[in-house]
Amino acid sequence: MTSDTERPAASPSVAGRLNAPRRALVETTVGGEPRLVDRELVTVVREEWRVVDRWWTDDPVDRRYFEVVLESGRNVCVYRDGERRCWFTQRA
Amino acid sequence: MIACLLIPGFELRAALRTRPRLAVVPAALAPEPGREQLVGPVTAAAEAAGVTAGMRLGEALATCPELVLVDPDPAGAEREWEGVLRRLEDAGFAVEPVEPGVVVFETLGVERLYGGVEAALTRAIASVGPAWDPRAGAGQRRFVALAAASVARPGQAVIVEGEEERSFLEPLPLSLLPLDEGRYAELEGLGVRTLGSLAALPGGAVAERLGQEGKRAWSLARGGERRRVRGRSPAAELIEALSFPEAVANELTLRRAFGALLDRILARPERAGRPFRKLALAARLVGGGSWRRTVTLREASAERGRLRAALGPKLTEIPAPVVELRLEAVELAEQTGQQLALVAPEGEEMGSRLREGLRQVRASAGGGAVGGVVEVAPWSRIPEARALVVPRDV
Repeated sequence: MTSDTERPAASPSVAGRLNAPRRALVETTVGGEPRLVDRELVTVVREEWRVVDRWWTDDPVDRRYFEVVLESGRNVCVYRDGERRCWFTQRA
Repeated sequence: MIACLLIPGFELRAALRTRPRLAVVPAALAPEPGREQLVGPVTAAAEAAGVTAGMRLGEALATCPELVLVDPDPAGAEREWEGVLRRLEDAGFAVEPVEPGVVVFETLGVERLYGGVEAALTRAIASVGPAWDPRAGAGQRRFVALAAASVARPGQAVIVEGEEERSFLEPLPLSLLPLDEGRYAELEGLGVRTLGSLAALPGGAVAERLGQEGKRAWSLARGGERRRVRGRSPAAELIEALSFPEAVANELTLRRAFGALLDRILARPERAGRPFRKLALAARLVGGGSWRRTVTLREASAERGRLRAALGPKLTEIPAPVVELRLEAVELAEQTGQQLALVAPEGEEMGSRLREGLRQVRASAGGGAVGGVVEVAPWSRIPEARALVVPRDV
């Protein structure tokens, strides 16, 4: 005889986010543009744009994105989170 | 003997499992969105305040302004009911569920095991558990068993022997019969207030005055027909669920998540190649409610396209943003034979090789190693909101 608790329960699998932002160490110029990303010098700022969304929710989004080329030739996308006041790296 | 186990107001009790505090205050099950605005089962405190089940919502709130409306949780109720049925099955009863809160079973097979009908009913009540306040009744016919369970107190079993049936049913109220509100009023207007007084009328006259419904009620008032109990076949255990990081209301996203669940349930080895006969799609809604729809396929199938076509349109009926989507195989067909196509569709071999490769990855790296990317909002300006990684079985 078995009890109900012994039966296998369906454990919901949790969907993960793809391309979740990761913390980045960024030093900026006076104008707020990135000068160093993860201790690597920025040679060119290729593009800059802003994303302001979900301002009507409890979790608003206010980001200033920069697509930069580093000294090593790597292309990186970083943004400054205006809400949390910190920097993240993410593939845009 | 035929036994009936009754849990009055089951849907409300199931909805209050997560909010037990509300069980002691005036509370009622809120009407489902889009349905007639009638309150469902009510708590004892609400009943004491004058609110009854089936009352118009406006009238109920006017009668008891402090009435708390509890959102229905059909998926939760279904789950709890399945738990009750399984506990009864584990105790040896071959159950035939009538509706959530009402189940009948034959005691003959377990009387010797437990030492008589009364002991068997006591065991059935104990297996369900005192939290549900179950009550049981037994008689030679289904309706007598139901009537006996209806008059029993919580945790009590009432047994009606064959020769006592008539005298037992006679004084009981008409509310035990499955009739419309208007019919009760009509019968009361004619001076018929008990089952005995209805049973005493000539059957032909009742049928002429009240139609088929009245004839059936008259037949039940005389004990109803003798019909055997058919124990249900055990329910399938295949369930796939997907929780979202944030509530999803977008139909496209839900369709994609449903597609991923379908792939996973089709890949479950427990299915052993058997096609699906009956499937249920359930959702946990933002704010605590739930939604559930069951679909019985005309022809048992394990074809992705057919299952999508049968269940996909139900997603548009979900009334609120979804926190978790579940796909359950309620019943599987027994046959495994399938008519093969003469020429394999293009790309099938490539698909099977890919699946084999993924199976190997999963076998070497573990269960969560294989995932699929489901685009949920490719138009979003926020990069991480565009797609989800969904774990999948291969």
